Amino acid sequence: MSEVAQLQLIALSIIGIGILILLFIKAVFVRVTGFVAIVLGLFALMSLAVPQLASLPPAEEKIDIANIKTPTDIAAIGQTVFFSKGQCALCHSIGPSESARCPDLKGIGAKLSKDFLFESLTDPQAFVYKDYRHGGVPKDYPATMPAINKDPIGLSKNEILAIIAFLQQMSGEPISVSTSELDIPGKAPSAPVKAAQAALVADAHTN
Amino acid sequence: MSVIQQGVSIVQRALRAVGSHDGWLAGLLLMAGWLALPSLGIAAEGTTAGPTEYRDIPYVGSRNLVWIVAQLHLLLAGFVLGVPMFAWLCEVIAWRGGEKRYDKLAKEFTKLLTSAYSTTALFGGILLFLLVAFYPKLMNYLTDVFFPSFLLYCFLFLLETATLYLYWYGWDAMQDGRKKTLHVFLGFLLNFFALFIMIIPNAWATFQSSPVVIADGTAFERAWAATWNPTWWPINIHRLIANVVLGGYICGAYAGVRYLSVKSPEEREHYDWMGYVGNFIGVFGLLALPFAGYWLMREIYQYNQQMGITLMGGFLSWLFILQAMLIGVLFLGSNYYFWLGITYRIPGSEGKYRRAMLMMLVSLLLCLAVWMTPHSLVASIEEAQKMGGAHHPLLGVLGVMSAKMTVSNLMILITFMSFVMYWRAGKQDTAGWAKLAKAVMGAVLVLASIAVIVLGVWGYFVPAIVRINYFSTSQVLIVIFVILTITPLTALLLKSAKTTTEMVWGSMPPRAGYSLVLNAIMVILLMTLMGYARSSSRVHWHVYGVMRDTSPYAYSPALGSASFIMAFCTFSFCLIVAFIFWVATMGDKYKAAPGPGKGELPHGIPAMAGGAPEERSQR
Repeated sequence: MSEVAQLQLIALSIIGIGILILLFIKAVFVRVTGFVAIVLGLFALMSLAVPQLASLPPAEEKIDIANIKTPTDIAAIGQTVFFSKGQCALCHSIGPSESARCPDLKGIGAKLSKDFLFESLTDPQAFVYKDYRHGGVPKDYPATMPAINKDPIGLSKNEILAIIAFLQQMSGEPISVSTSELDIPGKAPSAPVKAAQAALVADAHTN
Repeated sequence: MSVIQQGVSIVQRALRAVGSHDGWLAGLLLMAGWLALPSLGIAAEGTTAGPTEYRDIPYVGSRNLVWIVAQLHLLLAGFVLGVPMFAWLCEVIAWRGGEKRYDKLAKEFTKLLTSAYSTTALFGGILLFLLVAFYPKLMNYLTDVFFPSFLLYCFLFLLETATLYLYWYGWDAMQDGRKKTLHVFLGFLLNFFALFIMIIPNAWATFQSSPVVIADGTAFERAWAATWNPTWWPINIHRLIANVVLGGYICGAYAGVRYLSVKSPEEREHYDWMGYVGNFIGVFGLLALPFAGYWLMREIYQYNQQMGITLMGGFLSWLFILQAMLIGVLFLGSNYYFWLGITYRIPGSEGKYRRAMLMMLVSLLLCLAVWMTPHSLVASIEEAQKMGGAHHPLLGVLGVMSAKMTVSNLMILITFMSFVMYWRAGKQDTAGWAKLAKAVMGAVLVLASIAVIVLGVWGYFVPAIVRINYFSTSQVLIVIFVILTITPLTALLLKSAKTTTEMVWGSMPPRAGYSLVLNAIMVILLMTLMGYARSSSRVHWHVYGVMRDTSPYAYSPALGSASFIMAFCTFSFCLIVAFIFWVATMGDKYKAAPGPGKGELPHGIPAMAGGAPEERSQR
């Protein structure tokens, strides 16, 4: 018997006891207690009827550099991080969505350069890219992008590069993240990816 | 957890070792092993290298124990802070209006405070010990940040306790003239200190969700920055109103239970009236509570989008369907009690208002159905294909915030109109401008309802930021405008109105008592549910984004299993409150009973039972 079924049985028993009390006991306080038991049992049943989602702490993505042979391998890790530790899918859609709180990421890898994407993830307010695709006034979104290399998300450089690779792959673009850019554990980290140059930013903006 | 397993295996090994001996020896050893388990659990964590970060206890688990004790402490604190507000309000009504029964009601509830206050402090003390024992690293960090406010908190407790003693024990001695004014002022001071006693721990709790950490500055500056965090004031206001609601509905539930059990007509009248006052104060606060909740959610979104989305669109999104159900039942219960009042207390009104009541019931049920509609449905692949996605073509439209905000505002409007209907029942307007006033009120209500619905529908066609910042806020302002317009107009009209049917107290059916109990249970369950929501929204962080929870309990359980702890807390709280009421009224029952024992009252009734002032007056 599953845990949910066991709990449902307990809730039903509590309701049953409450009904028996109301049927056979005359003392007011006990009757009120029975009534409360029925209400609480129904509440528990209702809570068990909705999807049972627990929130587990994010699993640390073990990026084994030795097993990464091609950029596609990096993109595969990026896909996992995108939907788990990175929490990107919590706000962003992949494909148009009118109710989305944040920009649609479909085709973003083709639209923006790697450097621009890196800056957008680590310093999101450095250059706010307005969405001109719909024409007229650029669309504002209620959400503000957090710096994902900082807590509470706190992605490592390798994880961020993997996400960029995934975004490029999803957009049908050649993946420009190479395995040599990844930090190797135990070795001194390579120089951080340079922030997007003004020319690059302007280029991405006009594209 | 491994420590517990280790402990269990030690006991098992010992049992095997003594397997050949008599059963009593095995039993004794088993008992000793079982008793020793907690100490094994607690001690083992302390022997690891470095400072101890967590301790645990077997079977229950440290997190569950802290959860239950913290929730009970919070509920008791809400009760202890809500009752003085409720009592002081009643005392002021009696003082200014001259209605002595309000003074009696205020005194009846203040009587609870001494025992309720000590019980709350007791649970606060237990909670503190448990936190220090189970979460030393976190408590060390919080102490570093908030040390100055700890001192202030202790000082406020001294002031609150002294004021409470003066307020309660001085009740009979300060009944006339300037002494009464002084007593009312003491009641104000009691609530003033209580407010600060509430908002200081709120700072500690909200800091964990929306921390503001500054590295530089004095201890006071760091504590002040951490205190004034983005969700501090929204929580303060939300809890302040919620405490009034809790106090009102608990008063109603107490009156409901007493009403069901008393036999004499006088007592039935008294408890029927008390139930009405409790329900009224509860509804009064309830109307304002969603606005405060909306503000809190806005601040959470502004502070951190992820936390907001985790709450409303992430794994906690189904919790808000349960919240809608509980609030819906609370609205239905409160309205039902008003309608029972119109039917049974004001003879002849039933026929006049029957149709309106039916329409209100249908509207409330429709609103509740929309509010409870989930945005995303759990569907099989075949079902999803038939629907054309995870969102149902019709229900998906109703499950969004635009629809939910609209129906919640409409439910507030309907409940407000139920109250106005009850207020006006059995009275005939005599003022010359009554017709005009009623036309204005009708127009305001109709236009406001249309405006709320139009904004709700319009909300589908504008970007989310426009809806959140302008449309939803406008809906709230429209409802507040209706309440602020119709309330004084009705009061003015009724000032000169003729009473056609006198209110008959004590004629309510037993189900009225049960509906009052139901309302109180809904409020308590809501508080436990939202306690779980607030704690779970921090996900795997003790202090969001600053201190990570690395204990084995760094996860939030699913709603089903969490609901059992919520139900347990609700039930335990009800039993504790029932005990407090029983202890506090023990003296009254004793005095009411005929017999020679009455003369020995001063020695027989403990001060905690609330007997002292009466005893003094008897002497």
